[in-house]
Amino acid sequence: MSETSPQSRPSAGLVLRLAGAWALVGIPLAWGVWQVFRKSLDLFR
Amino acid sequence: MALLSFLDREHSIAGEHYSRWLVPPAALSIHLSIGQAYAFSVFNFPLSQRIGVTHSAPGDWKLSTIGWVFSVAIVFLGLSAALFGSWLDRVGPRKAMFVAALCFGGGFEVAALGIATHQFWLLLLGYGVLGGIGLGIGYISPVTTLIRWFPDRPGMATGMAIMGFGGGAMIASPLSTMLMAYFKTEQVPGAASTFVTLGILYFCFMMFGVFTVRVPRPGWQPRGWTPSEHPKKMVTRENVTASLAIRTPQFWLLWVVLCVNVTAGIGVLGQASPMIQEMFPGSITAVAAAGFVGLLSLANMVGRFFWSSLSDYIGRKAVYATFFALGAALYAVVPSTGRSGNVVLFVAGYVIIMSMYGGGFATIPAYLRDMFGSLQVGAIHGRLLTAWSTAGVLGPVLVNYIREYEIGHGVAKADAYTTTMHIMAGLLVIGFVCNLLVRPVDTRRTVARRSPAAAA
Repeated sequence: MSETSPQSRPSAGLVLRLAGAWALVGIPLAWGVWQVFRKSLDLFR
Repeated sequence: MALLSFLDREHSIAGEHYSRWLVPPAALSIHLSIGQAYAFSVFNFPLSQRIGVTHSAPGDWKLSTIGWVFSVAIVFLGLSAALFGSWLDRVGPRKAMFVAALCFGGGFEVAALGIATHQFWLLLLGYGVLGGIGLGIGYISPVTTLIRWFPDRPGMATGMAIMGFGGGAMIASPLSTMLMAYFKTEQVPGAASTFVTLGILYFCFMMFGVFTVRVPRPGWQPRGWTPSEHPKKMVTRENVTASLAIRTPQFWLLWVVLCVNVTAGIGVLGQASPMIQEMFPGSITAVAAAGFVGLLSLANMVGRFFWSSLSDYIGRKAVYATFFALGAALYAVVPSTGRSGNVVLFVAGYVIIMSMYGGGFATIPAYLRDMFGSLQVGAIHGRLLTAWSTAGVLGPVLVNYIREYEIGHGVAKADAYTTTMHIMAGLLVIGFVCNLLVRPVDTRRTVARRSPAAAA
């Protein structure tokens, strides 16, 4: 996906690379957020 | 070293089919790793029980001694960010990220050796000095690159990365606890093995960022985006070098803005747990207070992304004006919600305050870019982070001493917080005035009109 050429479409490889990259950082972050969120529920119990 | 030539700036220029949306995850891999620093306290007890294993034995390190490790790391964060900022702008993000990964990951290994052999100086050298340098270089390494890839949304882009620093502790804290439980035996509390594992894990995770990050090729611009012919009043089209920038009043006004915002936030973070328990005696337990601290961490993280993204639409100055006006009002009012016994309002107030604390960190790179251009924004950002180091000392000292003084003079514990919060509100008023005084930089100080070639 070139940001300069409007005609180009993202290739399957690039889409896969983007998904992989975001998953690699997103999954641990989501896990960490969930751990904290679960603990913070104690505040309102 | 031909083997390491892939780290050079000229070898990290993006090809035609590279997507700029690969840069934020690369930056996040660095910030999620170095954000571990905020979770260092999970090691306090295990490190203080290296000999006794289940209790502190004679010869074990004291908690006050271990506290120095984190303090030294934060000092070296500020120093290295200030010292290596210009180098980073010269060599590019890939080499800087690699050095950060080496220092941060390697620092864990040296520290592990210190724990295993029970030599405090090695722990201090590893985590405090080496790790601290990794923190500083890692923190500023993706900022310039993100700003150049996202000239249309610099606030959102840097906010996304700096959000990772807030989120890093959320991963590191439970992960470290799990690893220590796994490695713990009857002879050792498992901290050394945990350090070895974390060092390897963080190095590999940061290397993902090293291999993924690219700088835009000269002349690159986002598709369909062209710089406005009539730029906003507070956004310069010129470039100011770091050495010139620190001689401008704008730099020092923003230094005070960041320092004040961080000081006020640290004041709350540092005493959040005892504060809520003493404000609501009998109704908030230690477990619930830990939940409150967790909620504040979440607000800190989310605020980094929310406020910096909002600044792309309403401007940096307006966002900081909101922080200081709304913050001062909340600091002044929230203690009274505690006295009235309203937990929900009390928590909501501090959640907003903490979101603005995080937002202050995340919006400052874009503010600097607006003021000084993108040519050396990494170096300027590095120098500005000395405000963070200052606030790191000023905040806790101010809060703790005022509180001790108040209690020493017969003020009830819950009421002592009220005075502290009112002083924080006063600090924010100073920040509001400084932010108001920020004006565009005098163009006689600029080095070059911003051009695609200069910015690449």
